[in-house]
Amino acid sequence: MSPRMVTPVEIGSVVEPVLRIVWSDGHHSVYGWRSLRLHCPCAACKGEWTVRRHLDPASVPENVRALRIERVGAYALRPVWTDGHSTGIYTFPNLRHEICECDECTARRAAGG
Amino acid sequence: MTANPQISREQVLAALRDVQDPELHKSIVELDMVKDIQIRDGVVSVEALLTIGGCPLRDTIQSSIEEQIRQLPGVRGVQVQLGVMTQEQRQTLITKLRGGEVSPMHRSSFLTADSPTRIIVVASGKGGVGKSTVTVNLAVALRRLGHRVGIIDADVYGFSIPRMLGLTGQPTMVDQMIIPLEKDGIRVMSIGFLLPNEGEAVIWRGPMLHKTLTTFIGEVHWGDDLEYLLIDLPPGTGDVSITIAQTLPQAPMVIVTTPQLAAVNVAQRAARMAEKVNMEVLGIIENMSWFQASPADPPVYIFGRGGGLRLAELLGVPLLGEIPLDPAIREGSDTGEPIVTSHPDSPAGRVFRQVAARLVERLPMKVG
Repeated sequence: MSPRMVTPVEIGSVVEPVLRIVWSDGHHSVYGWRSLRLHCPCAACKGEWTVRRHLDPASVPENVRALRIERVGAYALRPVWTDGHSTGIYTFPNLRHEICECDECTARRAAGG
Repeated sequence: MTANPQISREQVLAALRDVQDPELHKSIVELDMVKDIQIRDGVVSVEALLTIGGCPLRDTIQSSIEEQIRQLPGVRGVQVQLGVMTQEQRQTLITKLRGGEVSPMHRSSFLTADSPTRIIVVASGKGGVGKSTVTVNLAVALRRLGHRVGIIDADVYGFSIPRMLGLTGQPTMVDQMIIPLEKDGIRVMSIGFLLPNEGEAVIWRGPMLHKTLTTFIGEVHWGDDLEYLLIDLPPGTGDVSITIAQTLPQAPMVIVTTPQLAAVNVAQRAARMAEKVNMEVLGIIENMSWFQASPADPPVYIFGRGGGLRLAELLGVPLLGEIPLDPAIREGSDTGEPIVTSHPDSPAGRVFRQVAARLVERLPMKVG
């Protein structure tokens, strides 16, 4: 069995200026609210595998925020956004490894890693 | 013991604490069903309120009350009067059953990570591997080990748990809350109980399945003393499996497969899904492993050999058990007497019991 999925041990509050998550592997992640919204993985924003789509950033309000964040089973988070959107299920591996905006992860992605 | 002519209200109340509502599995005192107690010259009169008027278990409650009070020293007679709760009293009861004060954030106990109930999801890659048979027999085996067990029959299209346990009838509804049916101490909820007859087909798309499943998890009164809840999934990785994965914060899985190597690939997909949704695979149960006409005969490997072990190795999880074919298993499924009930010491019965014991070892009861 592959090692268990990395999971959040601490999820910051929606009233904070950014979303902070501390992971079971010790990593500290940080996400801007709007950029998290733009990364929404749902079929309406990202498309399905037959039809790729791109969410038009102009359609997302500058000051978009999460009203609350729900846990989905043992593997994901679902934010409910101030623009009414709520169908995006952000899996833990996606949040931890693909869209984290901490300095370390941003630098690694900039370097093509 | 000397006769005590003076019986106190507290004594009566303490005695009534041991009387449980047979459906709600809680003391009638705790449920505020005891309305009045009068004691006069050693004769105790109790007025209790039932949740619904035509309560089928009326007589059971009445005789348990009488029995308990008669045991008190100094009691010369018992009178029990049963009434029915008002809408308001019933609402208070429901609130209590749901776990306290009404709050918009309240969720059924399975939906929180610290729930005392251990959930075991029984999955398979393809159909016909005997998943439901395994589920009911594991439930009986867990019950025999002294645990309080429930089954959610999540195989909405192909439900078969009611017949396998010999359960028919409709669940009692206390307002919006469903009381599961019970057989030999195993609480069961199945779509089969909600259909007009067993032959009725369920022809639903995803959203209806999702609603049914979340109702079975959230709106059924499983009782907060439930220790193991088995969920019999439909084969494959469809809507129902996704709902379970998204609804329950912890849902470890066992995968049932047959010895055929061709089944391994398919079963592996169930494991793939478990990995994606972070459900732990506790182990593999191989069903229909071999047939032995009599203990003296050599085993015949009708469906091939080694599929379960191969899958377990591929996934790096234990092979929890290999269940031999036995006509008694099939007969038991048709007559509502699982083999662990009818032949607990048969070769198959023993394997089911070993698997149950191993699962308890892996998922011990939470303390406190």
